[in-house]
Amino acid sequence: MNTFRVARAALRARPAALRMPLQRRTYADAAPDKIKLSLALPHQSIFQSQDVVQVNIPAESGEMGVLANHVPSIEQLKPGLIEVIEDGGSSKQFFLSGGFAVVQPNSVMSINAVEGYAVEDFSADAVRSQITEAQKIANGSGSEQDIAEAKIELEVLESLQSVLK
Amino acid sequence: MVFAWKSAGLSYNRYLAVASRVVRRSLKDDKRIAAERRGESDLRFAKWSNGKQGEVKNLNEANAAAATEAAGAPSA
Repeated sequence: MNTFRVARAALRARPAALRMPLQRRTYADAAPDKIKLSLALPHQSIFQSQDVVQVNIPAESGEMGVLANHVPSIEQLKPGLIEVIEDGGSSKQFFLSGGFAVVQPNSVMSINAVEGYAVEDFSADAVRSQITEAQKIANGSGSEQDIAEAKIELEVLESLQSVLK
Repeated sequence: MVFAWKSAGLSYNRYLAVASRVVRRSLKDDKRIAAERRGESDLRFAKWSNGKQGEVKNLNEANAAAATEAAGAPSA
């Protein structure tokens, strides 16, 4: 009789215990809508596996936005603007000189680039004067290598100028 | 997709170096001076053969010469 009562008490207690975890917000519930971003330059790491909401990157295959649970992929980056949207909707913008972005299966993203600076660190005057200089070399009669390098510079500078406007 | 720099005989490494150099030059003055120092490198090397040291060359100049040569004969 006594054991029967204990068993009934246990039966009654269980549904309450089952309901408990649903009311609590655990890490496993909170994590999947975030992406862990690492943005690293050879001399500095700007983000170190930090939780962010979205990352927009200028890939060679086109502009793309990366959210949590993105398909794993490797993208070559064009010199251009990456935008990091953080928790609460604030966003940070960086201009990268080109590199690679790797999206790993478990919402982990790493971006590697050679140079990267916040947009406000660039001088529009320096960009403008370099464009005229690079155009002179690109249309001039220098060696094939000089012309190719001037065209790379123009690509970067024009991308920078469109960002600074 | 064939990149313009690739058909001109430049390596990806060179492409990135040129792109980064121009990004450093576009910075505002205070940041630019600190950043441009990163683009500088100075390394000399010599090739040893038969136990004798060859001519000592500057790596940057040797690389530039190799790149000019590669630009003349585009690789596939």
